[in-house]
Amino acid sequence: MNARPRLVKAGAVALAAVIAMAVSAGCAARPGARPAVTATARVAVHSGVAAPAIAARSVSRAGAGAAAATCNPDAASLAPLGPPQVTAGSFMAKIRARGFLIAGVDQSTYHFGYLNPLDGQIEGFDIDMIKAVAEAIFGSPGHVVYKAISDAQRIPDILNGTVDIVAHTMTITCARLQQVDFSSVYFQAHQRVLVLKDSTANGLADLSGQKVCATSGSDSATLITHYHAIPVTVPYWTDCLVLLQQDQVAAISTDDSILDGLEAQDPFTKLVGPELTQEPYGLAISKQHQDFVRFVNAVLAKERTDGAWAASYARWVGTPVPAPPAVGYAS
Amino acid sequence: MASTAVSAGGRAGSTVPARPRRFRRFRPTLSTTPGRLRLLLIIGVLLSLAWGALAGFTASQYAAAASSVVATREPLSLDAQQIYSRLSDANDAAATAFLTGGLEPPAVRQRYLADIGAAASGIEAATANGGAASGAAAQDLNTLAEDLPVYAGEVETARADNRLGLPLGAAYLREASGLMRSTLLPAASGMDAAENVSLDATSAQATGLPLISVTLAVGLVIGYLLYRAARWLRRRTNRVLNLGLVAAGLALIVSLAWLAAAYTAGRGDMLAAQARGSTPVEALAKAGIAAQQAHADESLTLIDNSGDDVYQQDYVSEERALGPGPGTLLTAAQAAAAGSPAASAADAAVLDARAWYAAHAAVRALDDKGSHAEAVASVLGTGPADAGVPFAKLTADLSAGTTADQATFDKSAQAAAGDFTALAPGVAVAALVMAASCAWGLSRRLVEYR
Repeated sequence: MNARPRLVKAGAVALAAVIAMAVSAGCAARPGARPAVTATARVAVHSGVAAPAIAARSVSRAGAGAAAATCNPDAASLAPLGPPQVTAGSFMAKIRARGFLIAGVDQSTYHFGYLNPLDGQIEGFDIDMIKAVAEAIFGSPGHVVYKAISDAQRIPDILNGTVDIVAHTMTITCARLQQVDFSSVYFQAHQRVLVLKDSTANGLADLSGQKVCATSGSDSATLITHYHAIPVTVPYWTDCLVLLQQDQVAAISTDDSILDGLEAQDPFTKLVGPELTQEPYGLAISKQHQDFVRFVNAVLAKERTDGAWAASYARWVGTPVPAPPAVGYAS
Repeated sequence: MASTAVSAGGRAGSTVPARPRRFRRFRPTLSTTPGRLRLLLIIGVLLSLAWGALAGFTASQYAAAASSVVATREPLSLDAQQIYSRLSDANDAAATAFLTGGLEPPAVRQRYLADIGAAASGIEAATANGGAASGAAAQDLNTLAEDLPVYAGEVETARADNRLGLPLGAAYLREASGLMRSTLLPAASGMDAAENVSLDATSAQATGLPLISVTLAVGLVIGYLLYRAARWLRRRTNRVLNLGLVAAGLALIVSLAWLAAAYTAGRGDMLAAQARGSTPVEALAKAGIAAQQAHADESLTLIDNSGDDVYQQDYVSEERALGPGPGTLLTAAQAAAAGSPAASAADAAVLDARAWYAAHAAVRALDDKGSHAEAVASVLGTGPADAGVPFAKLTADLSAGTTADQATFDKSAQAAAGDFTALAPGVAVAALVMAASCAWGLSRRLVEYR
């Protein structure tokens, strides 16, 4: 978070103010900021299958700017109490009695959470984290029901108890921390830019005045606006790749974790430019289930040390495998 | 008119002394019997020819409407219905094919390909049948012709990406499905509705009462005038009957009877074609399309897998629209098909729908308790307890009903067109006979005065 440029935060607040009417953010829109343009592209216009995407992510980001002073997203979680243990009366015991863990996941982000068309299974780095948690509860693999949810559903689904846990390339932010709890950081992403191979652009700075794709209301659009590019918004990240393939946008800008997955699906694209932001990913859990937060952190701690985290990283993200993100706890 | 004109002319000479000069010139002619006979001859021939023109016009109007139903409106309406129901089924098949992991079931792929092929040939046939020439339907047909290849291209791109194991395929399928739902299906539905309106309007022309009533009334008036003329002639010449006028009367009676009979038969056949043909076909096709859309929603709910139940809500509203129950599509189809060959199929479809709803509830229960794979297997399954079976039976019954009643329609509409065959030339010939008979009969009387 410390590495995030101040202007990014300001831009985030500005966009959220436009999109979400977050008047309470207390900031006027930057003079140079353009309002996000809803895509005129067909993907967005008749996305019959796509659930409408959401402003939740940017709303929370708006708050992130306001609450940033009092919060450190990299060390906001609860410390584990020893190795993972399902104690009587705990939320984990309830899950065990039910017979399966309910996880809110992404089904369109290649290598993190995606529906593999070859076998119809949801797979990825995020999914591996969920599998580890479920196996720690049940003592055997399986026992997970995946709900493929959109960005907008992540926090509401946690709040109303539709899902037990969310693993969805979800950045820990101070605003979100006021609504839900997060596990310790299990992945560190950075916003970058994806363009076609023959593009001369080397980052958002070169894309001023051009159309750049992001999902609706994602904080990625904030930075696009900041660089005076025109945000084109669609429901899913793969929809952005469709637009890029159809020459309807010049670039896609979001977390490198997501862009890597898009690049892997189209060899005629490349990632360019510097790392623009810090995006620490955490698993989101209800504030009512602090025992479960500590349990999940214990599972992640075990994953980091026994090589499971590195194996999953190597499988989904690639080699060489870096050290896992540094862990800090609030208490 | 002939006889009144004649007698009025006769009275005018005695009761109105101050007639304008120009009328006086004719008086010497009309005041003599040969003069009146000559006038009667001219009027008789002209009336006969006018009758021929009117009766021939009426006959050709009904014949043209009936044959337009058979030759143009009905094929176009069928094309539109085929395009709509095939696109709706393709949408369902594409969703269902995507439901499974791995390769799509060959049967579903075959169904999709057959649907796209049939929709494309429907578009081609509608264009060839002149659908592109008629108003709002032309716009829809144009949209369909332009966007169907785009849709098919996106589905194939989705399939290629799926085969590579890429989630990008889902995005292309989403785009294709969006194109289908937002553009293709509304255009197909609009064209179908427009063609049904045209078909009903043309059928109404073929059965309409006003024209035939006016024509028959005019014919009866002419008949009455002939009778008056014959009576006047008999009094004036002391002959029993004028054979020419009798023959003209007979020719008139023949043409009147033929007109009335052809109309009655044609109207009966056309109404039967509607009541036991196009009306139930339309109702059954509507129910079939609603069933396909509900089934696509069933699949999409499982594909979407998000707990966000937009598609399930769509399904519920389609199920409610489909029925059975008061005001629902299935009940309407059942009522429309009652007494037609599709009656039993429509009754069976109601039972199928109930069975499918029960199976669908079981699928939702499976999915809700976390057994997604079992839920998918039930939708795609062919076993006795699987949801795929009652749905397949529902669409099969609805389509069997549609086929049966379509055959009824074809038969009856062709019979209706046949009822009007030769009517127009027939009444024209009868009118010529009338004219000739008048001329012959009256000129024989005239000769006697020379």
